[in-house]
Amino acid sequence: MSGRTDILGKLKNDRAGLAGFLIVSLFFLLALGVWLGWLGQGWSDAGGGRWEAPGAEHWFGTNVLGQDIFQRAVYSVRTAFEIGLVVALFSTLVGAVLGALAGWYSGSWVDGTVMWMKGVLDSIPFYLFVAAVAFALQGQPWAMHLAMIATFWTTTGRLVRAEVMKIKSMDYVRSARSIGLHDSLILARHVLPNTSHILLVQATIAFVAAIKTEVILSFLGLGVQDGVSWGLMLAESTQEVLAGHFANFVAASGMLFLLLIGFNLLADALQDALDPRQAAL
Amino acid sequence: MKPLLRKLLQGLLLILGVTLISFLLMVWFGPDQTYTLIGKNATAEQIADIRQQLGYDQPFFKRYLDYLASLATLDLGTSNASGEQVNKILMRTVPVSLALMVPGFILGNLLGVALGLSAASHHGKWRDRLISGLSVGGMSISFLVVIIAFQVLLSTPYGLDLFPVRGWQVSGFGSYLQYVTVPTLALIFVTLGYNTRFYRAVFIEESGKDHIRTARAYGASNAEILWKHVLKNSMVPIVTRVMFSIPLVVISGSLLIESYFGIPGIGLATFEAITSGDQPVLKAVVGLTAVAFVAIQVLSEMLYRLLDPRVV
Amino acid sequence: MSASPALSVRNLSVYVREDGMERSVVDGISFDLAAGEVLALVGESGCGKSKTAEAIMGLVSGAAGRVRADAIGLGDLDLAALGERGLQKIRGCEISMVFQEPLTALDPVFSNGYQLATQYRRHRGQSRKQSRDSAREMLRRVGFPDPDRIMRSYPHQLSGGMRQRLVIAMAMACKPRVLVADEPSTALDVTTQAQVLSQMIRMARDTGTAILLITHDLGVVAQYCDRALVMRRGQLVEDAAVTRLFSNPKHEYTSALVSAAREMRL
Repeated sequence: MSGRTDILGKLKNDRAGLAGFLIVSLFFLLALGVWLGWLGQGWSDAGGGRWEAPGAEHWFGTNVLGQDIFQRAVYSVRTAFEIGLVVALFSTLVGAVLGALAGWYSGSWVDGTVMWMKGVLDSIPFYLFVAAVAFALQGQPWAMHLAMIATFWTTTGRLVRAEVMKIKSMDYVRSARSIGLHDSLILARHVLPNTSHILLVQATIAFVAAIKTEVILSFLGLGVQDGVSWGLMLAESTQEVLAGHFANFVAASGMLFLLLIGFNLLADALQDALDPRQAAL
Repeated sequence: MKPLLRKLLQGLLLILGVTLISFLLMVWFGPDQTYTLIGKNATAEQIADIRQQLGYDQPFFKRYLDYLASLATLDLGTSNASGEQVNKILMRTVPVSLALMVPGFILGNLLGVALGLSAASHHGKWRDRLISGLSVGGMSISFLVVIIAFQVLLSTPYGLDLFPVRGWQVSGFGSYLQYVTVPTLALIFVTLGYNTRFYRAVFIEESGKDHIRTARAYGASNAEILWKHVLKNSMVPIVTRVMFSIPLVVISGSLLIESYFGIPGIGLATFEAITSGDQPVLKAVVGLTAVAFVAIQVLSEMLYRLLDPRVV
Repeated sequence: MSASPALSVRNLSVYVREDGMERSVVDGISFDLAAGEVLALVGESGCGKSKTAEAIMGLVSGAAGRVRADAIGLGDLDLAALGERGLQKIRGCEISMVFQEPLTALDPVFSNGYQLATQYRRHRGQSRKQSRDSAREMLRRVGFPDPDRIMRSYPHQLSGGMRQRLVIAMAMACKPRVLVADEPSTALDVTTQAQVLSQMIRMARDTGTAILLITHDLGVVAQYCDRALVMRRGQLVEDAAVTRLFSNPKHEYTSALVSAAREMRL
């Protein structure tokens, strides 16, 4: 497809986007290394003394329990990708399906219901909702993910709905309808593929939002329950920094910042390449 | 008048939805308080008694309707945790949260508008690129990291050590400034990237409109175009963003800031209510937020008419 | 024709930037517009007529593109050498413009009266009250029987034809020496087209304003213009008095245009 080579060409010319892509790829390799058991496996071993300074043995030093901060920061890449991928995938999927239904049956009760759900979810203060879900499903490791998916789909839903309403009125869809093709077939074959640019960009944005939300929730004690994450490391560091121990804070916030800016740059570049008009807004 | 009425009707449906969802989440699925209130070794009679007091023995819809009725009459009951009247808790905490959040909220938006205008008026040039780049950078920093960094830099011996580390012992304007500065700076910093980016996009969109070219062709100066034509035409999206982020920033933002700094505002009260399952407080906060949201939507609708003659 | 032209364009080129590549859309054109003359600039869409108009007005700038010209003479002034500040004093005063799309040409959030009166305040230094009186008078001249109602209302409350007359009123407020009219009647329905065009040209005759009328409609050229420039792919291929253009087109592209127009009218 000529459209696709176009996008690749544009991405190549976008230096910031390329940098974002490289950063994200690098982090993905780290996550892969952790998954495969090559990296960060000693994250929970308490092998050092309390708050050891950075050195040859512990590159970023150790935390209060004598655990290696570098290993923990690296292992957290996997945690971040797990949360980001799950939330991005499912929230985009829910948004695509509900948005497409609302757009296709715009004006009907389906549309009304979806828009009402969107309105309701958008008017509950976010952390309050997430905290409530996390708390209601306490003990469930997926509580945090569920809460994010339940709220993150609304933007995707709104954009997809508008796009589908536009596509629906186009000639090729109208003629597909007039020759009696079934709605679900038209939706699956002609309409949804034309929203892929929205989905891709929204998924990257959801990924960023998920990682950022994890940090806040973990600080509040409602996030990652077992394991380690940058959010948990930062929560740990809130007490340490007052005593002058910055290793946890610097390691977690540095890695977090790098991954987030990588994703933000990538999202911008994708938006510019795939959907220039929307990119202006 | 019709759109306003429709907004009100939609608003009522919205309030029903928000209260229903939060009721489900926080009350139906929320923590059971029986044992926290009377201890582990209660008799069956005591248990039945307290469950009746808490309303646990009632069917779902009865409890939900009771909740709506208590919202409508503003009879919000008493906190399970402290026994304090919920109304009193709100009167005590909401002003603190407003004093804490409003300065940062206003400054964050004003600065965002200023930077957005500056970038948009130099669209594509180095100033625009610098501002856009910094915005993306700002968007990539976690709120928690910002708070910790400002705290270390401004309130500890490792930095300038100018402000109290945490708390809220406000007795006058001087002590207010002491306690409000660090949270305010953190709030501005963390919202500025998003605000600037949004406002820049709005201004660029408006600058590209045909009537801007007309104004230029008839001799309008750059300042006139920016401050009069672009800004006035951007008022609807600006007002929308500002209005709709009020309840979110005030509740969500204060939840984090207040629990971090230990400030006794509505955010901290809400968070404590979530973790202790203090239903009367939760129900009040969520219900009132929903009402505030609807009020804001109706108010925005009225503002749009003042700002854009095309809105009828 | 008087000795010194109202507008004298020398070697004007316009480049636009697309996807980081610069492309020439107007390619070194030169022409004169005599005082009080109505000069047509015709050509198919995309030939560069509208960019020529924008370039003369100094409206091509920034990220959109770049203009190069040896001179754009307006009386004693060279617009090509004036900076943005200098241009701001000239635009809407010495040289003005009417646009193709009346529906989007006016600012939707300011009242009609305010937008028109601004012209008198900005260029004539009139007070608020004086400028409103001038605006009211001008609205009457462009054929609004009830100027006060128009002053109070907003652009979206007017029809396309009314909006275009308001735009003409704004453009002519300071009796400019040159009026650049970019397809001023194309977006209007047929009955209003003639009304608006003849209104505009009558006013220009009264004030001695020369008009550069950009159009693709040879009927309009035949009816209203003294002379015509034919543009194709960024270049001028013909410059002729209108009578000769139809009777004896020199360039084969012109004759193709002319015969196409004739066929359409049959």
